[in-house]
Amino acid sequence: MILLMAWRNIWRNKLRSLVIVLSIALGLFAGIAVLGLYKGMMKSRVRDVIDAEQGHLQIHEPGFKKDEEPKFILSDGQMLFNTINKLPQVKAASPRSVTNGMLATASGSAGVRINGIIPELEYRTSQLKAKITDGQPFDANRRNQVMIGKKLALKMKLKTGSKLVLTFTDSTGNLVSGAFRVAAIYQSNNTPLDERNVYVRIADLDNLLNIPGAFHEIAVLLKNDEEVVSVQTLLQRRFPGYQIENWREISPETDLLIKTTNQYSYIIMVIIMFALAFGIVNTMLMAILERTREIGMMVALGTTRIRVFFLILTETIFITVAGAPAGILAGWIVVGYFNKSGLNIAGMGKEMMSSFGFGTMVYPEFPGDKLPGILLIVIGTAIISSLFPAIKALRLRPAAALMR
Amino acid sequence: MAALEKIPDKKETVIDAHNISKVYNADTVPVHAVNNVHLHLLKGEFTALVGPSGSGKTTLLNLIGGLDKPDSGQIYINGVDITRLSSGRLIDFRLQNIGFVFQSFNLIPVLTARENVEFIMLLQGKGSSVRDRRVKQLFGQIQMENKLDSRPAQLSGGQQQRVAVARALASKPKFVLADEPTANLDSQSASNLLDIMLKLNREEGMTFLFSTHDQRVIDRARRVIRLVDGRIVSDTAAVSTAHTQ
Ligand SMILES: Nc1ncnc2c1ncn2[C@@H]1O[C@H](COP(=O)(O)OP(=O)(O)OP(=O)(O)O)[C@@H](O)[C@H]1O
Ligand SMILES: [Mg+2]
Repeated sequence: MILLMAWRNIWRNKLRSLVIVLSIALGLFAGIAVLGLYKGMMKSRVRDVIDAEQGHLQIHEPGFKKDEEPKFILSDGQMLFNTINKLPQVKAASPRSVTNGMLATASGSAGVRINGIIPELEYRTSQLKAKITDGQPFDANRRNQVMIGKKLALKMKLKTGSKLVLTFTDSTGNLVSGAFRVAAIYQSNNTPLDERNVYVRIADLDNLLNIPGAFHEIAVLLKNDEEVVSVQTLLQRRFPGYQIENWREISPETDLLIKTTNQYSYIIMVIIMFALAFGIVNTMLMAILERTREIGMMVALGTTRIRVFFLILTETIFITVAGAPAGILAGWIVVGYFNKSGLNIAGMGKEMMSSFGFGTMVYPEFPGDKLPGILLIVIGTAIISSLFPAIKALRLRPAAALMR
Repeated sequence: MAALEKIPDKKETVIDAHNISKVYNADTVPVHAVNNVHLHLLKGEFTALVGPSGSGKTTLLNLIGGLDKPDSGQIYINGVDITRLSSGRLIDFRLQNIGFVFQSFNLIPVLTARENVEFIMLLQGKGSSVRDRRVKQLFGQIQMENKLDSRPAQLSGGQQQRVAVARALASKPKFVLADEPTANLDSQSASNLLDIMLKLNREEGMTFLFSTHDQRVIDRARRVIRLVDGRIVSDTAAVSTAHTQ
């Protein structure tokens, strides 16, 4: 009967109830839209990290990552690479020689990370070929070609065909340098990486580093995101001497970004609901004020205060939760639409987005995984905003209330 | 009155109030709304509480009904001193022992007539077959079998008051308190309500204590208690009152 009364009480002032229901729906919709945007951005960021930057796994000699010294070549690298390449879970793998050095032109110099690659393997692993905006991919018949990022090209005033000099120390500690010609300029979603990484043929680099046929790193792309940990442990068991890391370990900042974004999502939701709670409290207080005599009469007849409390609580929860399906549905439809068609957020500043490693097209995704949390927040809001009106109702003295 | 108390009556006492007083605004301008009142009511009585406006009728009914606490004195209902009950216990005591009819705004607007009557029995935890039987019986007695599913807003004032009387009796209380139950009714409806109250008094032996201004209502009471300035100035049978006036 209390439930029935709560339900009917909601319909007593339809307009007022509708305003609350709509505001909850709108708030939820806004929250879901923002969360969907976040989720889409995070997902594409993770895709970039895996598909265009690091791969799922990377393998190094244990000492390498500390200072990236050229002497820490992967021992038995060729055997290791062949084994990995044959694993059924592996989609592509790319061996890389890596060293840090100086890029110099007639007009200036910049610190860079030089990646010696086998072009065909690298193209399949980090989509390097697809990122080319100007020039041609590596030509098998030419030597000492280099591929540089757009940001670096602008900074150093380099064009395809320009000449530059790379200087670094070889595996024995001697300073060496080589002249290279820009074959292509590439651009990814991640400007800082573009500015720092240059690519040359592994043979050219190994020659200068004096490590013929060797390399420092194998980047591995898997067919399936879910198999990262299982392949990692499998490889680690078979090759205990190497440092094998997954993308979360290689790029802890991405992992952290995802985790903080998750927390942030809930905080946004709580803030939205908190703002709405004021409206709910106000409305319910008005509803109770109007019903002072009625509640006083109920208490006079022998309705316990717990029951009155429960009535107000149920009413508030009904009215709050009623808005949830509409808000969630609207969020689902709109997010679903933009998930297909994509949302261009270039308006927020292409420069700014790509300096954080984000593309300008976002494909928002319905945050279904956060739905239980969101509903919990909504119900929490309902309970908290009903407490104050309910307590107010409990304070009523029946005799005074009846005399109006 | 002394004679009445001496009669070795098989009738039980339902209300026994001793020396009760209620003062409003004690620290500014004290109003002795109820001043040293003694009241003794037996089972089956049909008593009117009369007096000028502000004489303390509502206050006295609220004290007896446990809606308010007196500043001094004891109120025994069925042997229990309700002035000593905690407010939580008092709510349950009212539910089990006292039926209320108010001047207006008696019914819960979102519930139908039948649900309003059932509501009190639900609070008492009565089962559905008991409730159904009682609802049928009571709506027969108030002659409103055809209005079971009407909302209060769809009922006339007189019909609402009849439902309120049915609701007051539904819980099988020891007695029914009614504060000006006919004040908002036209004379026809008022007389009709009185008929029903008298019938229930006869058929169910229900004890009624009601306040009123209306002389025609007073005329039909079996006992009339007159209040002036919070004191009982007369307590006599209606017939003799009518004769003296
Ligand atoms: N809550 C209150 N605070 C202060 N004074 C009150 C309060 N309630 C009643 N009084 C005063 O107590 C006295 C008795 O009031 P009460 O309402 O009991 O009279 P009544 O006989 O029911 O009057 P009426 O016939 O107009 O209903 C009046 O003087 C009134 O002003
Ligand atoms: Mg009064």
